[in-house]
Amino acid sequence: MSGLTKRFGDTTAVDGIDMVVRAGERVGLLGPNGAGKTTTLLMLLGVVAPDKGWIEVTGHRLPKGRSAAMADVGFAAGYLPLPERLKVDEYLRFYGQLYGVEDPDIDAALDRFGVAHLAPARGTDLSSGQRTLVGIVKAILHGPKLLVLDEPTASLDPDVALRVRTGLQALCRDEGTTLLVTSHNMVEVERMCDRVVFIASGRIVADGTPAAVAGAFGGADLESVFLRLAGRDITEHPYERGQETERPSL
Amino acid sequence: MSTAAARLSGRQLSWLRIKAVARRHYYVLLRAPHRLFDVTIWPLVDVLLFGSIAAFVNPGHATAGHLAAGYLLSGILLWHVVYQSQIALATGFLEEAWTRNLLNLMVTPMREVEYVAGVVMFGMVKLFMGLAVVSVTALAFFAFNVTDLGIGLIPVAAVLLVCGWVIALFVIALVLRFGTGAEALAWGILFVILPLSGVFYPVAALPWILRPLAQALPTTHAFIAGRALFDGRGLLWSELGIALLGCVLLGAVVILFLTRMLQAFRTRGYISRYT
Repeated sequence: MSGLTKRFGDTTAVDGIDMVVRAGERVGLLGPNGAGKTTTLLMLLGVVAPDKGWIEVTGHRLPKGRSAAMADVGFAAGYLPLPERLKVDEYLRFYGQLYGVEDPDIDAALDRFGVAHLAPARGTDLSSGQRTLVGIVKAILHGPKLLVLDEPTASLDPDVALRVRTGLQALCRDEGTTLLVTSHNMVEVERMCDRVVFIASGRIVADGTPAAVAGAFGGADLESVFLRLAGRDITEHPYERGQETERPSL
Repeated sequence: MSTAAARLSGRQLSWLRIKAVARRHYYVLLRAPHRLFDVTIWPLVDVLLFGSIAAFVNPGHATAGHLAAGYLLSGILLWHVVYQSQIALATGFLEEAWTRNLLNLMVTPMREVEYVAGVVMFGMVKLFMGLAVVSVTALAFFAFNVTDLGIGLIPVAAVLLVCGWVIALFVIALVLRFGTGAEALAWGILFVILPLSGVFYPVAALPWILRPLAQALPTTHAFIAGRALFDGRGLLWSELGIALLGCVLLGAVVILFLTRMLQAFRTRGYISRYT
């Protein structure tokens, strides 16, 4: 994507983003709420039209090549529910077929994330963690070259989050799938991604390996970078500076 | 496991997607019994209502009364072609909005036309269910045999079918632009078109001020052709031609409008209403 810009009224959500994600990379797109991460992803997916700039996905320029580009992309978001009136296997078969896979291997795909037992369950009977896992299975069913995940582990307990992370790492390793993921869980991103791109106020403010980005901002880890960009510099807090002896009450 | 899967392409792929969308809406009907109201209860209620009115005005099979009964029952039969085709497509799309499934669909490689074709395909099943209820009820309770209208009924119904789809696409365009607040139109718009189209009476029966508007609707001319069938005047090709031409012109305008609304949907980021 190049020169990507999007305004909603007086608000500039995305302000001239240039970014190339190479095949096989695992990229974390990070930033505070309202930074422009989801808008960037939605433009990449062809759901929101940019005001300026252009996007090319697997050699297909959007919006003209949207259909061909999206055939190579899988998408899941932690905030999206499953349609109420479908069972999990029906839901997965439906989406697999939209991507051209006549008879998707649903059991194997569910098994990758340890949820094969959910196949006959209704979407409404699943916990939020289970729905997230099924959503990710939906996204990988057609063997995408690029997997785009928006907050995939939001509101998941550590056990399910670990299962998601492990499954995604195995997928990227085994299939060479490129990963572009947004998350507010910095530890998770550090473990899962080999490159992080920080966005603040619609602009890229840092781009590199997790260690390099943390180092560039003078922090020990991504969380300190995040807090700094979010306007809550952790090192500025008296407790963190060592001037307070007791942890402040929350 | 390897997620790399053999994929179809070209027409086979389009057909697979259309079937998948149709099957998805079959599951919706299967698991949401209240949706059966549109294809069972309402047709039944309409036939009972208008059949009973017909029986009331037609106690002795006097000529005028007999005509009125036939107009009411053949009118309600043809009206259900418009109603069922419109409701099936409009509520099919609304189902995706209600279940917050729009984003998931919009990020797939499926083309808009494939989605519409899938909903329409299953909508045809619902249409036949609704018409079957109307036909059987009319025959059982009021001795009105649909087949008496003859084979000319098919082209008249075909034009009304297309009219229903055009109205549904207009409703979908409004929902894309104004959100689910516009969903009331899915049903409401039909109650505007019903009296103006002269479903049960000739346009001359309308107040004079509304007649030009009624004449401009393609549905009006299809219903004129339908009444002629009941009158035994055969198929009025001229009226049917006007209806078809009007439908095609209106369809072109509505598709242009829908394309613009979809563009606005993407430009203004309205997907956020459904996430």
